[in-house]
Amino acid sequence: MKVVEINDVFRTYHDTEVEVKAVNGVTLSFEKGDFAVIVGPSGSGKTTLLNLIGGLDQPTGGEIIVAGHRLSELRPSELIDFRMEHVGFVFQSYNLIPVLTAEENVGFILSLQKWPKEKRKARTQEMLSAVGLSDRHKSRPSQLSGGQQQRVAVARALAARPEFILADEPTANLDSKSAETLLDIMVKLNKDEKMTFIFSTHDIRVMKRARRVITLEDGRVVSDEKVNHR
Amino acid sequence: MKDYQLAWRNLWRNRRRTLITAASVFFAVFFALIMRSFQLGTYEKMYRDVIESYSGYLQLQHVDYMDESNLDNSFVIDPGIISRIEDDPNVTAVIPKLESFALAAAGSRTQAVMVIGMDPDNEIRGLNIRNRLIRYRLTPGAVESLKAENLPGLTPKLLDVFVNESFTDEESLISILGIDRSDTLKILPLLRKYTVFDNGYLTAADTGFAVIGSGLSEYIHAGVGDTLVLMGQGFHGASAAGLYVIKGIVNMSQPEIDNRFVYLTLDDARYLYAAPGMATSAIISVRETDDDNLLMTRDRLREVLGDDLVIRTWKEMNALLLNQMEADNKSGAIMIGILYLVIAFGVFGTVLMMMAERRREFGMLVSIGMRKGKLARTISMEMLLIGLLGVAAGVAGSLPVVFLGYARPLRFTGEMAKMYEDYGFDPVMPMLLPDTYYLWQVVIVLLILLVAIAFSVRKVFKLNVINALRA
Repeated sequence: MKVVEINDVFRTYHDTEVEVKAVNGVTLSFEKGDFAVIVGPSGSGKTTLLNLIGGLDQPTGGEIIVAGHRLSELRPSELIDFRMEHVGFVFQSYNLIPVLTAEENVGFILSLQKWPKEKRKARTQEMLSAVGLSDRHKSRPSQLSGGQQQRVAVARALAARPEFILADEPTANLDSKSAETLLDIMVKLNKDEKMTFIFSTHDIRVMKRARRVITLEDGRVVSDEKVNHR
Repeated sequence: MKDYQLAWRNLWRNRRRTLITAASVFFAVFFALIMRSFQLGTYEKMYRDVIESYSGYLQLQHVDYMDESNLDNSFVIDPGIISRIEDDPNVTAVIPKLESFALAAAGSRTQAVMVIGMDPDNEIRGLNIRNRLIRYRLTPGAVESLKAENLPGLTPKLLDVFVNESFTDEESLISILGIDRSDTLKILPLLRKYTVFDNGYLTAADTGFAVIGSGLSEYIHAGVGDTLVLMGQGFHGASAAGLYVIKGIVNMSQPEIDNRFVYLTLDDARYLYAAPGMATSAIISVRETDDDNLLMTRDRLREVLGDDLVIRTWKEMNALLLNQMEADNKSGAIMIGILYLVIAFGVFGTVLMMMAERRREFGMLVSIGMRKGKLARTISMEMLLIGLLGVAAGVAGSLPVVFLGYARPLRFTGEMAKMYEDYGFDPVMPMLLPDTYYLWQVVIVLLILLVAIAFSVRKVFKLNVINALRA
């Protein structure tokens, strides 16, 4: 079942007099349960492609269909609701809300979706437990290590049961042990809950775990390979 | 999580900045309220002094008396007029007054004076002259005697500053001499012993007596028991002349009145000016003294009077004083405006810093599904909470000061008091109790906040999520 369909998508910037084609005719699709990484050198268009899939940016050409929604047809406020309901984001620099505890951060998106309190609490505990942080649920981000913060970010992204998770360089700021722990959790969630993960990364550790590696160069897909881990 | 909960938590993420911003609002509101309370309290006192010692709240006058205040524009005041006016539900008394000018002399000194004739027994219902009787005077002899008593603190030096000054009550005497509260019990008997002023007052039955202002008394070197000569022009050009024994001396607080004040009984004044049964005005004593009630009373009374007579409010009669106060009021408003301008920049500084610091966070919140409207609402609440915190603290902090300043008005002592008196002001700065001016300060701060909020809301709605996430 296709979660994301990208058909001949372009994203051109006219920042200066020079026209920059950040994404240049990309056609891809992601299936439910994919664990895919988008790799490529800096400036190859990885983050731009992720932003387009997540509805944070609009293509200048082509079409993106996510969970049956044509993103180009959605108004800005509908795009925000679309992201809330269908997409989970994990950012490179954690981006937790500093004044909220771990459980409040995870539950924040559920409160945006107006989940009932009890249901929200149960789901928050479930997600914190899934990322191994149930004992730190009262901690604020400043009281957690970088790896723990990123695990809270993953729990937050998964809490509302999105169609897929977009993770932009999620291990870039982590030491190797924290990165491995985080990846173990993501792999497990992918396996157990059939959660779709789409990464953009330079990190070899992420690539080693991926079952699909898409390579971008100058905004074009130069390879799209399935990987079998034995 | 509710918007206000998130806003409250965000408020304390940078505790120091929040406190500094709230403190700046607090100080602005606090000082603005204190300043305003002093300013309005001083105006109130001046108005009250003028009303109580001279004009009353409402006056019945001949229609031309305002333009030409002389005896030719006096009128016969018959009991019919008085009873028609007294029938009004807001009127408690009508006190006829005959007022004109004369030359007053005692010994070799002469002064142009304002002669007021009224019924002294009835006057208290409209004016408050009796309460202005001098009760204490620092004569040179009293000063020497007090100095010999080895009084503590600055009092001996201040005695020299205030030699020959008169006082209507103990409170002003104590405070102007800088006497400490703890020394009052010890010094008060001495003050009473040496400075009590033997004074008297008119009764309606008196004939040939006068009460004069302390300023006039000093100028013409005449005291209680001395004879005052009055010469002037009576009704329709008749000559007016008379001799009066000074029975009492009053301190009229407003120096321009005090220096020229001569008070006779109404019958004596009518006789002096050859104007039997006449009055230049009648003070109308009222129950409710606020502007609305005064205007309503005036309008009701107009209907029961003929074309020759008119009712005037104290504001109409004291237009010059009101204009002077209005001009002074404007200068106060400019000062407060400057104060708030500084605060507005402080608040904007906080908004700019906050928006810049949290740009990435705002981008993250919108990207994970927080609507911009909700985000704007949360930020608005934060700004509002900071402002309300400062306003509430400012109002709460000012209340005890204002109530204290009202109950125990700031009374200048020593040289400062002398300077005030030399400029013709009573050396007292009373405060006005909380009134609509409190509300205005809150409204001004809320308006500043509203502009700051509008700015931050605009920034949120113009937020580019991708740029914000890169910040």
